[in-house]
Amino acid sequence: MSPPDVTAIPANPPRRALPLHRELDRVWRNGPGLWGQVTSVSHTTLGLRFMATAFVFFGIGGLLAMLIRAQLATPQSAFLDTALYNQIFTMHGSIMMFLFAIPMLEGLAMYLLPKMLGTRDLAFPRLSALGYWCYLLGGTILIAALLAGVAPADGWFMYTPLSGKTYSPGINADVWLLGVTFVEISALAAAIELMVSILRLRAPGMKLTQMPLFAWYILGTAAMMLAGFPPLILGSVLLEMERAFGWPFFDPERGGDPLLWQHLFWLFGHPEVYIIFLPAAGVLSTVIPVLCRTTIVGYGAIVAAILGMVFLSFGLWVHHMFTVGIPHLALAFFSAASMLVAVPTAVQIFAWIGTMWRGRPELKLPMLYILGFFFTFVMGGLTGVMLAVVPFNWQAHDTAFVTAHLHYVLIGGFVFPMLAGVTWWMPLMSGRRRIKGLGEAAFWLILIGFHGTFFLMHLTGLMGMPRRIPTYADNPEWMWLNLSSSFFGFVMTIGFALFTIDLILQAGFGKRSVRDPWQAPSLDWAMALPPPNYNFASLPGVELQKEGAGGAMLKLARGEGLLPGAPRGRREILVTSVGTARLEHVALLPFNTALPLVLALAICAFVLLMLAGFYALAPVALIPVTGLIWAWARRAVASVDAAPVEVAPGLLLPVHPEGGTTLTQSGLRCLLFADGTFFASLLFGLAFLSLVSPGPPLPAWGADQKVLLSALAGLSLLVTGGLGARWALGRVESGRPAGAALFGWVIVNLVALVALAALAAGLPDPTRHAGDAVRAALVAYVGLHITIAVLFSAFALDLARRGELAHGRAGALRNGWLWQGYTLAAAALATAALWAQEAAL
Amino acid sequence: MRQVGGMVWLGWLIAGPTAWAGAFSVAYGLHGLGCELGWPALDVGPLSLQRMAIALPSLAAILLCLVLLSRVKATLGPEAGLPRLGLWIGLIATLYTMAPVLVATSC
Repeated sequence: MSPPDVTAIPANPPRRALPLHRELDRVWRNGPGLWGQVTSVSHTTLGLRFMATAFVFFGIGGLLAMLIRAQLATPQSAFLDTALYNQIFTMHGSIMMFLFAIPMLEGLAMYLLPKMLGTRDLAFPRLSALGYWCYLLGGTILIAALLAGVAPADGWFMYTPLSGKTYSPGINADVWLLGVTFVEISALAAAIELMVSILRLRAPGMKLTQMPLFAWYILGTAAMMLAGFPPLILGSVLLEMERAFGWPFFDPERGGDPLLWQHLFWLFGHPEVYIIFLPAAGVLSTVIPVLCRTTIVGYGAIVAAILGMVFLSFGLWVHHMFTVGIPHLALAFFSAASMLVAVPTAVQIFAWIGTMWRGRPELKLPMLYILGFFFTFVMGGLTGVMLAVVPFNWQAHDTAFVTAHLHYVLIGGFVFPMLAGVTWWMPLMSGRRRIKGLGEAAFWLILIGFHGTFFLMHLTGLMGMPRRIPTYADNPEWMWLNLSSSFFGFVMTIGFALFTIDLILQAGFGKRSVRDPWQAPSLDWAMALPPPNYNFASLPGVELQKEGAGGAMLKLARGEGLLPGAPRGRREILVTSVGTARLEHVALLPFNTALPLVLALAICAFVLLMLAGFYALAPVALIPVTGLIWAWARRAVASVDAAPVEVAPGLLLPVHPEGGTTLTQSGLRCLLFADGTFFASLLFGLAFLSLVSPGPPLPAWGADQKVLLSALAGLSLLVTGGLGARWALGRVESGRPAGAALFGWVIVNLVALVALAALAAGLPDPTRHAGDAVRAALVAYVGLHITIAVLFSAFALDLARRGELAHGRAGALRNGWLWQGYTLAAAALATAALWAQEAAL
Repeated sequence: MRQVGGMVWLGWLIAGPTAWAGAFSVAYGLHGLGCELGWPALDVGPLSLQRMAIALPSLAAILLCLVLLSRVKATLGPEAGLPRLGLWIGLIATLYTMAPVLVATSC
């Protein structure tokens, strides 16, 4: 069947809006009471919850900042002892970065994107919920550790050897490594969710080159998260392995290198700055044109700038390590890239200024925050260019100048735009208008307080004050600057408190807002305030998208768009093609469920067992995790063929993609991209330890013929497994029984696992040398993937046994085949890497 | 995008920056390898083996960007605008970040 022309789809006849709303609400709403909230998988509910929780953590992080400022107000304060001070500044940075900034942007994107793209929810609602629970539970572990006095205390970037077992013998560092990794499940989940939703769920006819800029920004952010978080997760896993089992990845006496940690951390850490900045810039590109009563200047240039930032930001990480003794040429690469990234940033700044120049700016509250952003972020960007210059960097490294710079960039580049965004979308979120006056007062307090605190900190840094010191008795000349910073820090806090009060008052007591109060054209305003869980009673086609929020609102509510109502009692959305958003099929989204919460609790049990040092018991917790993921996948499978759905008069769409790509397959590809980055980072670690690390040389492995044969046998079996999967897929697609082929696939994968176990048994003790530890890590990585391949094949066999695999419903088999292919590639590369390591000896 | 599929168009869009990222990564990797293996001391014509090895991936990326720039309009038609910008980003980024290869001391 050829895809329908999206420009020629007839409108559905208008219906009464209220019955349509009731029909949809019955299907999409949250259940009653607290349990209804707990089981909700709605992007609206979860987006709001992400943001609210992030604000709570922001409050906690801010409180810690005030404790730091109280301590530094005078040279020899006894307010906090050194150990507690270390925990507090570590937790301040960690909370702001991992528990506030990232979840905040995830929440905003989750809440807004389906509304802007003209759909009813994100691609994987249960994944959104799982991400939220992992975030909440992981964050709770970190805060609980703080209250118990065992919080991480090694700085938010956890440098080794300080964070190693020798210098941090308690569980403090483990809390960070396990807790943050647990939280990052939510980041990866969100990245996959957002990327697939942007690429596959846009309203029909909404081409990539025409979609709202906010979606471009989030697409870039999601791609960066998929590439940026895996190195951090790898670093955390390796450091935890060193701490728990003595695998010496970072121990220089046994061939490890602390610089490997720095590389892995900053491979994440610098792109992280842009991961945070891009969504904030998306807010600016959305709000500025509307508040200036014009359209954005330079749409194409902004998209190109996003593209440039996404890539270039991965070439800067070493500028955090300029002082560690890196060769000049490498310094020059990274210095050049660090300066170059200012160009796409400047392109956006000029596009926003051009937009304001062309339009008629209205000085409403969001615009105040936007002006605050310009003032602050440009200064932060300029000090960033200063720090990109190697000689200056050497002078200012690890001083309060750097602290000031990073706060100018993060608060200027993220917090101010986010505050603009929150004030902008509060009428949408709460359905109410704000109370005038309070917000403006909060803005001025925040702006004055911020600059009073951090501008002075540049000077303190230039006078030589290092970061993270609790006292400075020998340098009384720093006192007045520090005292002033502390005073203004409290002014800023009062501003944030006032901002929070303003939000609470608006949500609780504000007058009801009219629809589309800003007269914005984007689809996020073409709905009731606050929006129902399904967003649109019918989905906007090309014509309604052109009419903008004002013109389309009523027609969408009356069902004149596509796929009106929920007559079949299912949660239905439209899936479109990646480029031009051609209609492909109707997807059925899952209903509310407690499964994400239960799965997150099971993962939490694993984390807590690791944290408690019950290493032998921890793998047992993975059994319920596996079982729950199996149950999760079972529920996603359509057991019978569903009839095509009429989305407009005479236009029928299939419920199963006829041989096309399912949403799950798109999601799996994103996951494999992140997985590949993780693996590439591991190979980088192997190369770094082998070539650059100055430690003692790796003793010979003594790999014998048997080990080589095991590796080759394992690879051959994986190839056979892949062929078996392909054969089974062919049989399913042609309607023939595939049970025997699938059974063979399971067996072959199991035997491959045995071959790998034989190889693992021949490995040297991984505690002997870092090179041995990397070998073991590579083998463990491949082993994990073969184990999952076994589960994929067993799942497909189970479906076949139940008669649930059929032409058009073979997604599980396709996914398994994809996984098998990746596993084979990873195993082949790992084998080559091990061989190269052995050959180099 | 009417001439090619969405994923192909996205591929064109990221081709330039990907070429830069590839050249940058390979050059950084070869730099470490060359320092370990003593390449700076080995001359290949007017350049050391080290500089030659690091410059080659950059040259490959530059050539790739130029070739793709010459074909982008014919392949993508009216949708060539953004991918063309992407290719220029890749080209300029490669030229700028790899320029130090010619002058800086290596190891």
